[in-house]
Amino acid sequence: MTGYQHLLLFGSVTVAACFLFVYFWPRILLVVYKRAILVKGFGEGPVPVNTLYTEPQAVFADPLRAAPASGSNLMTTGANRDTLLMAGWLDLRNGPQVLHVPDMGGRYYSVQLTDPSNNTNFAYVGKRTTGTAAGDYLISGPGWTGSVPQGMTRISSPNNSVLVVGRTLVERDADVSAAYALSKQIRLTPLGG
Amino acid sequence: MTNRTYTFLTAIIGVICGFVIVRSFLFADSLTVRNDLVQGFLVGAGLGVVAVEILARIKATRVNGWITVFGCGVPGNDIFTRAACARIFPGPVNVPQEAMYWKTGVDGAGHTLSGERDFILHFPPGGLPPNDAFWSLTMADAKEHFVANPINRYSVGDRSGLAQNPDGSVDIYLQNAAPAGHEANWLPAPAGRFILWLRVYMPGAAILRGDYTVPPVVEARPSR
Repeated sequence: MTGYQHLLLFGSVTVAACFLFVYFWPRILLVVYKRAILVKGFGEGPVPVNTLYTEPQAVFADPLRAAPASGSNLMTTGANRDTLLMAGWLDLRNGPQVLHVPDMGGRYYSVQLTDPSNNTNFAYVGKRTTGTAAGDYLISGPGWTGSVPQGMTRISSPNNSVLVVGRTLVERDADVSAAYALSKQIRLTPLGG
Repeated sequence: MTNRTYTFLTAIIGVICGFVIVRSFLFADSLTVRNDLVQGFLVGAGLGVVAVEILARIKATRVNGWITVFGCGVPGNDIFTRAACARIFPGPVNVPQEAMYWKTGVDGAGHTLSGERDFILHFPPGGLPPNDAFWSLTMADAKEHFVANPINRYSVGDRSGLAQNPDGSVDIYLQNAAPAGHEANWLPAPAGRFILWLRVYMPGAAILRGDYTVPPVVEARPSR
């Protein structure tokens, strides 16, 4: 091979690798979140797949001293003092999951459903999109063909893996326990389980 | 990872890429197909890091020192926007209709924010961020962690009882020591460098249209 051909080969591979990196960068980032949720947890052990973890009241009330010594620090880095956070990772290969939401009484909350393959949010359940009344939402993976039980709203996920991030507004310091009690009622169950 | 560390790492990667390129094409003994592939992949990945950095600067909207990106998290957005969002807001960021975020480490004049000096964020009358949920301004140190302070206040916003000036404007005092007479509007700063996060949930139409301008952080005059 001549030097020119080497340059051509080298250049093509370089350009391809550069684009691949840019394309996969958001996905690589969310692998860190997957690992934080399913492997490390947030100080109370790993968070099982298809469950929601809720930030403890103590961490919200006193983030500097009550922050967990072990586990991922994703929840306390760049953190906010507005909402109690929830996090979970769904695997829909074995069937849909049902998201149960209590009556939030007008309080701001949102449950963000993120496709981890490209870090875009394909659906929201929450004050802006569905209101604050109680409800059950059926989150189904691609290719699921079952019937939606009465009273449930179907949300179709483009991916069998879903990153779930929940946020419940805390009005003031004295409101943390009320916000926590409501957050804990936002939960996931398997369909028919 | 702070901005400075990131720039430093990017520079190192650039130097390594440059070295590999020079090494590959000026020395004939390294001209094999295997080297072309391996080095192309490594250099390309390195350039990818640089490309993400460049994209982040192109896609970011900078006003008065504040940085934000429009279009994050929206299904169907392009790969360049996604890469820029992942760089500037590393994590599962909200769509603009749900929440908009601005962050800054500099004042309106481009000077680094630090508790060594006193700063003010002045919202003109009627100029608080329009929203249908809430807004907040959060203080963090250079590592994006909360700042310890005697009144356990880490953010101010629509729920924190900010006092208005007689003309209806609002001043937020960003300083290490408590501002006498303005404690209600004090957002305690650390002794050293800090960054600010402005969050607006369910932002108003003016924000989504790009018409709302976040006011600059300004350095308070010592004589005040």
